[in-house]
Amino acid sequence: MARKKIDISQAVMAADLGYAQKIRDMLKERGILMVNLIGSPGSGKTTLLERTLAGLDLKCAVIEGDVATDRDALRIRATGTPSVQINTNGGCHLEANWIDSTLEKLPLDGLDLIFIENVGNLVCPAEFDLGEDYKVAISSLPEGSDKPLKYPLLFSEAGAVVLTKVDLKPYIDFDEVLYWDDVTRLNPHGRRLRVSSVTGEGMQFWLKLLYDWCDAKKQAAKGE
Amino acid sequence: MHEFSLVSAVIDSLEDYSVQQGWGQVKKVTLRVGAMRQVIPETMQFAFKTACEGTSLAGAELELVNVPIVIKCPKCGRAWGEEHMGMICPYCGCDDAQMTQGMELDIDSVEVEDDGEKED
Repeated sequence: MARKKIDISQAVMAADLGYAQKIRDMLKERGILMVNLIGSPGSGKTTLLERTLAGLDLKCAVIEGDVATDRDALRIRATGTPSVQINTNGGCHLEANWIDSTLEKLPLDGLDLIFIENVGNLVCPAEFDLGEDYKVAISSLPEGSDKPLKYPLLFSEAGAVVLTKVDLKPYIDFDEVLYWDDVTRLNPHGRRLRVSSVTGEGMQFWLKLLYDWCDAKKQAAKGE
Repeated sequence: MHEFSLVSAVIDSLEDYSVQQGWGQVKKVTLRVGAMRQVIPETMQFAFKTACEGTSLAGAELELVNVPIVIKCPKCGRAWGEEHMGMICPYCGCDDAQMTQGMELDIDSVEVEDDGEKED
């Protein structure tokens, strides 16, 4: 039988991008900042979040993404912050349609900031727009200084790159000059932060960035 | 392994189009995939074949067109690719370079069986 070619020219993730836009519109109207934390398993995302929530004088909520268990959501709830766990049951990333339905379970009124802690992975979560204002790339000192160039998409699109566990520097062979050179090359205008959730080093700059982003979001909402 | 999510989205979209537009059997699907997209071709092929089973796209061929990375400098106008991966111009040092190609992840086209009776 004859064949005919039909042009489609449509984004593969068109349906999910629709959800991301819906989320972005809703959060813009409410002036709520949404930050999507992406990093490897064990990079210190949850610990950074715990310290962040303890230090921020803002009304926050957290969406936790993990393959299995609600352990992270329980850790966050212990800080007094509302948290909803999404289990992907094997899936390596979160998608906007799940965030859309999860937002209904969070108390949005009066909220300043929603954190999404994505599934631990430097590859797949970088591909998916969740309607966030910023993706934040989190990598820890023990993972090695070669991560930015090995995972260029995440490091190039992140609004900020946070190097965690910097208190381990005396014990680990980590070329920090190379690391930041590569980050700067991929993402010249992204914010660059080094923190230790254990000693508190650098936390004030991270918190300041979150306050600045929140203020900008609220100003934009008022300007509408 | 986000390839399974991607092919599922492709199949959902194309099944909708197929019903709406009364397509014949889909024989080939062509995707344009930017080199920045971290898609592994072999995994994508496997995911597509597996996910198509039991759908109206079963048996369709998948063609992946790789779109190389192109980054352009707005100041000196020069362009480069993966060999100088980064947004700082290797020629003039400007740090406002933009990726103009390589982020594609699009359904380009399909080929369907055509009985020649009607169209569009």
